[in-house]
Amino acid sequence: MSRNARASAVKAVLVVLLLAFTLFPAFWMLSSAFDARAGSGGQTLLPREFSLENFGYVLTEGGFDVFLRNSAMVALVTVLASAVLALLASVAVARFRFRFRTSMLLMILVVQMVPLEALVIPLFVQVRDLGLLNTLLGLMVVYVALSLPFGIWMLRGFVAAVPIELEEAAYLDGATWGRMFRSVLLPLVMPGLVATSVFSFITAWNEFIFAMTLLGGASENYTVAIGLKQFFGEHTNEWGYIMAASTIITIPVMIFFVVVQRRLSAGLVAGAVKG
Amino acid sequence: MTSTIQAPQVARGAESPRAAGGPVQRKNPLVRARPWLLLAPALAVLAVLLLWPLVRVFLFSLQDYGLREIVSGDANWIGLANYGEIFTDPTLWTVVLPNTVGFAVLAVAGTVALGTAVAVLMASLGPVWRTVVGSAIMIAWAMPAVTGTYVWVWIFDADRGIVNETLQAIGLQDEPVNWFTNRYTFYAIVLLNVIHHGFPFVAITILAGLLGVPKEMLEAAEVDGAGSWRRFWSIIVPNLRQVFAVVIILSTIWDFKVFAQVYLMPGGAGSNREALNLGVWSYVESFGQNRYGFGSAIAVLLTVVLLGITVVYVRTMLKEEEL
Repeated sequence: MSRNARASAVKAVLVVLLLAFTLFPAFWMLSSAFDARAGSGGQTLLPREFSLENFGYVLTEGGFDVFLRNSAMVALVTVLASAVLALLASVAVARFRFRFRTSMLLMILVVQMVPLEALVIPLFVQVRDLGLLNTLLGLMVVYVALSLPFGIWMLRGFVAAVPIELEEAAYLDGATWGRMFRSVLLPLVMPGLVATSVFSFITAWNEFIFAMTLLGGASENYTVAIGLKQFFGEHTNEWGYIMAASTIITIPVMIFFVVVQRRLSAGLVAGAVKG
Repeated sequence: MTSTIQAPQVARGAESPRAAGGPVQRKNPLVRARPWLLLAPALAVLAVLLLWPLVRVFLFSLQDYGLREIVSGDANWIGLANYGEIFTDPTLWTVVLPNTVGFAVLAVAGTVALGTAVAVLMASLGPVWRTVVGSAIMIAWAMPAVTGTYVWVWIFDADRGIVNETLQAIGLQDEPVNWFTNRYTFYAIVLLNVIHHGFPFVAITILAGLLGVPKEMLEAAEVDGAGSWRRFWSIIVPNLRQVFAVVIILSTIWDFKVFAQVYLMPGGAGSNREALNLGVWSYVESFGQNRYGFGSAIAVLLTVVLLGITVVYVRTMLKEEEL
């Protein structure tokens, strides 16, 4: 075998191994979700008895119709509120130079690194004092705060990318700052706003520790991330149901994720990868 | 917007944001207050929901704060006793710290090594296969931590998991093994889960950097007789130092605070004391034992460690760009 042929054979093997490793969990989740006999032992790679039974159970008796609605509501409010707050704040840090601007940016950067485990204790007490335990409102408020720093950090890049000359042209035409914001800046940062919103959506949709802590007793208010727990029994786990529910949770995230993944990398390493 | 992976280019003139502070009427106090008016709502939310809780978790850590204190709202100061208890608790030294630090080291090393290897592989592929591999790793990345963890638990399930069934079918073991009771196999599964979920970010980021390395440099090195191993270490790595630094630091921060990936495993929620890490220990002491003060002290320790890493991160970032 020539050197080149051997090299491409090695490469092909590596690609196959990589694809197998990368896709196996998602594949296994789907395969078990569609298998009516998942969890009864002796499972094969493809479903032995292809059916939608697991999905049907999960969406009716499993309560995921309610959990999906709860999660959607929480995510929607989180997305809208944090988009507005993050946009205003990012315009301030990207377009104005004022005292404490750098400290403000550093604070936004640092606060993202704080572990949720440290926030969950005081926020539990705070939410409890406000009488919002077991309500979706308490959760929404917390999620807005959690998605805000990354939102500001990301939108700041998009706002800075709008040429200042466009703003100045608007002023020359007699526009006030508010008019310029509405008619020039807002349409131009729209793609960034969409990307940021998708991330707040994913944050709110996937979040687990706060949902578990703040909604503890009220299973009618559960979000999808903690709704899964009920399929775990003392001795047996309903793996078919768990995988069907996991599929339902994962699909919207995957769709959104593929839409915006490029901007996610950009936001995470903002500035580190120079073009 | 751009379809490349770099951050949006900063517009010319944006280096001096004062130029855009508003229309020319600079004396107007409204104009001077504008950035603060814009920031106010976000700052209020961050102050009430992130900064004040951070102060409070520290205050709790100096108290014997239990259910009674939560209900009554009274303070019960005990100074540094919680910290004293943590540092004299053998659980910290024999279980929690090794689980947290050891795991983070292995996870970061594994994630960065695999991510780099995948990036190098992707850079050598044609456009079609690069897209295929890129989409596949995107699926691994997009998997939520909660569902991803459950899938790994199912794969390694003690009774009917595919790993046990396969190992039995090919005769490597006679009866199912419960992988979750042993501390090392438990964390091996967490490691697999975290690497599987974390390497796509590393691969995509490093690939972007790789594609930016000038081709001429690599060709010149090849002409000079450098093998591919030598080219990787002598050209690519030094060129991507900054990218590697960011990727390593971010992975370290993420891998230090893994929570759901441990908590949702069988025995991970505190019933298997051998499997505790800092975050889970803090959570189960607080919400399992109602020892919120003690749990807060553990959480403060975790936060201090992460802030230390963050300081390094911020300094790396500041070297690269003006905020």
